[in-house]
Amino acid sequence: MAKPLFYDSARRGTPPIEEIRGAFKYRHLIFQLVRRDILTRYKRSFLGVAWTLLNPLGMTLVLTVAFSQIFRFQTPYGYAAYVLSGFLAWTFFSQTTTAAMVNLVWGGGLLNRIYIPRSSFALAAIGTGIVNMALATIPLLFVMIITEVPINISLIFLPVPVLLLAGFALGMGLLISALAVYFPDVVEMYQIILTAWFYLTPIIYPEEIIPEAFRIWVTTLNPMYHLVKLFRMPVYYGQFPTWQELSICILISVTMLVIGWWIFSNKSDEFSYRI
Amino acid sequence: MNSLIESKDLNHNEGPSTTADDEVIRLENVSVRYRVPQERIGTFKEYAIRWVQGKVKHRSFLALQDINLSILKGEVFGLVGENGAGKSTLLKLIARVLRPSSGRITVKGSVAPLLEIGAGFHPELTGRENVFLNGAMLGFTQEEMEEKFPRIVDFAELGDFIEAPLRTYSSGMWARLGFAVATETQPEILIVDEILSVGDESFQHKSLERIQSFKADGATILLVSHSMNMIEQMCQRAAWLSHGNLIAYGSTHAVVEQYLGQVREVESNRLSEESTEKPTHRWGDRRLEIRQVKIFNAKSQEQNTFYTGETLILRIDYFAHEPIPSPTIGVAIHRQDGVHITGPNTTFAGMDLGVVEGPGTVIYTIPYLALLEGLYSFTVATVNQEDTIIYDYHDRLYAFRVNNHGENVSERYGLMTMRGEWKRI
Repeated sequence: MAKPLFYDSARRGTPPIEEIRGAFKYRHLIFQLVRRDILTRYKRSFLGVAWTLLNPLGMTLVLTVAFSQIFRFQTPYGYAAYVLSGFLAWTFFSQTTTAAMVNLVWGGGLLNRIYIPRSSFALAAIGTGIVNMALATIPLLFVMIITEVPINISLIFLPVPVLLLAGFALGMGLLISALAVYFPDVVEMYQIILTAWFYLTPIIYPEEIIPEAFRIWVTTLNPMYHLVKLFRMPVYYGQFPTWQELSICILISVTMLVIGWWIFSNKSDEFSYRI
Repeated sequence: MNSLIESKDLNHNEGPSTTADDEVIRLENVSVRYRVPQERIGTFKEYAIRWVQGKVKHRSFLALQDINLSILKGEVFGLVGENGAGKSTLLKLIARVLRPSSGRITVKGSVAPLLEIGAGFHPELTGRENVFLNGAMLGFTQEEMEEKFPRIVDFAELGDFIEAPLRTYSSGMWARLGFAVATETQPEILIVDEILSVGDESFQHKSLERIQSFKADGATILLVSHSMNMIEQMCQRAAWLSHGNLIAYGSTHAVVEQYLGQVREVESNRLSEESTEKPTHRWGDRRLEIRQVKIFNAKSQEQNTFYTGETLILRIDYFAHEPIPSPTIGVAIHRQDGVHITGPNTTFAGMDLGVVEGPGTVIYTIPYLALLEGLYSFTVATVNQEDTIIYDYHDRLYAFRVNNHGENVSERYGLMTMRGEWKRI
């Protein structure tokens, strides 16, 4: 295994490119980190990994009782499947971005000791999110069957919105990670922002109820609106998105990813004495 | 590989016989400048307000200043210095965690640090899972770790515990596992930062042995320790960092000696400052005043760090402000913890100084310093022959240090050597 390694501090490539190379080289580490996250998450609980399935079901039940019975929201098909599909997309986003940031800030002691690509934690958070998302489609399908939402061939399109969501979440995760290194209370602040953002995105309510005056803020200018909608398309609505809908999401996802990656990798040299 | 020959050469300790080939780490004019906010600005809001006001002031701080250093293949290189001297910064540079602000560093080969207990391990994962996670952090694939795994478990002496979660481990077991992973991955450069102080004695011994065999395989080891004993035992060469500057660099013995000399100086300065503040360390009517006390080695060089077995000479300059008949000049040696070791004086030695007047000097020679490692101090006093009048009393004002591993003395435990000999009959 004698790979001749040579490190020369004078030869410094473009940070974003180097970070990509590093992350690729350390893909085993990212895999191990995902494994660690998943193994440790449920290790000490009695039902173990079943919680990944039960959690969304419980959540759906609560939200359905609260909102479809009390507020009487009108949705094309069952409300339960509507809320769960939106909720899964949102949970993916909020959990992965938070995990990316928290892992970097609290697990960063390692970055002071040993060279590992700084983006490993964020990438691992996304990986964990994708695994959880894959598992959570099981209860989603279950709810759809029970509430008689038609399951369509369009379901095969689901990986695309997940991927775009992942790109957006990664960009966001990296951006707030870089911020959190400088200002630890970004971690707390972000939770408040997430809560506000959650209610300002049509997840638990149908977009039709938004008053005309606010609609542009809650829909057009809200990247998560587009991504959540794209996610609902193949499952809940049972149709393929239009080219326009798809390209907006690609644009949002790629832009966020590039911005996040760029800022993060350019700032990451300073992390080791900030953390 | 001709690593054996190389390390043999190094044992001769002739300084760096620098050819580009055997240099694994090289620093050229390396400086590291940290830019830190002058005040700690914790919140984003606060920062934003200050930024708008233009009040975000940064203070730059040189953690390393213009360092030139090369570390050779197959050597154990020691780093000494007080806390905050820049040792960790230097290690970070070598581990590729930090980039120099200016200058250049090159590192040939893979670097693995010995992580302090806990870093990189997850308490909920089993020993086995942690080994693979840790291996991945060092850049190894699952398959590569599979192959090393049995040897890691073997060295760490964990047995069946390897399948138990780490939270059930004792701290010694954590340390053993960490050490086993770091060394079994066979990095070309191993960074050991003050880690060998953990674990029980037999494990420490095992680790030291492992480091030695590592060295024999041609690996390079960087050792940071506050124990001069360990540095001298393990390293061929060493560097001393202070406030980000490279003060000394070369053979371990010379570097350690200089370093300890400095430590003593700082300490005795502090002691003498304290003594001027606290008159309790000096009393007497000063009719026979002790003007100056100095400690020398056999070559009459001033020194306050000695090895066991060396010659120590204490020189006492006095001044009698009036004629004093047959005074006694005496000393006492105390260990730092207050143990009174001995108290010789001129009268006990049967020496009559006669009537002293004006300036004069006596010397007290210890031909063989039998004390073992530790901090000691001299008390020097002038009294009348009957020991009823104290003229001048300097209580424990003159400190010196003794190190082990001098010429012939390798005793370690206790206060002094009896110079005894072992023989089998």
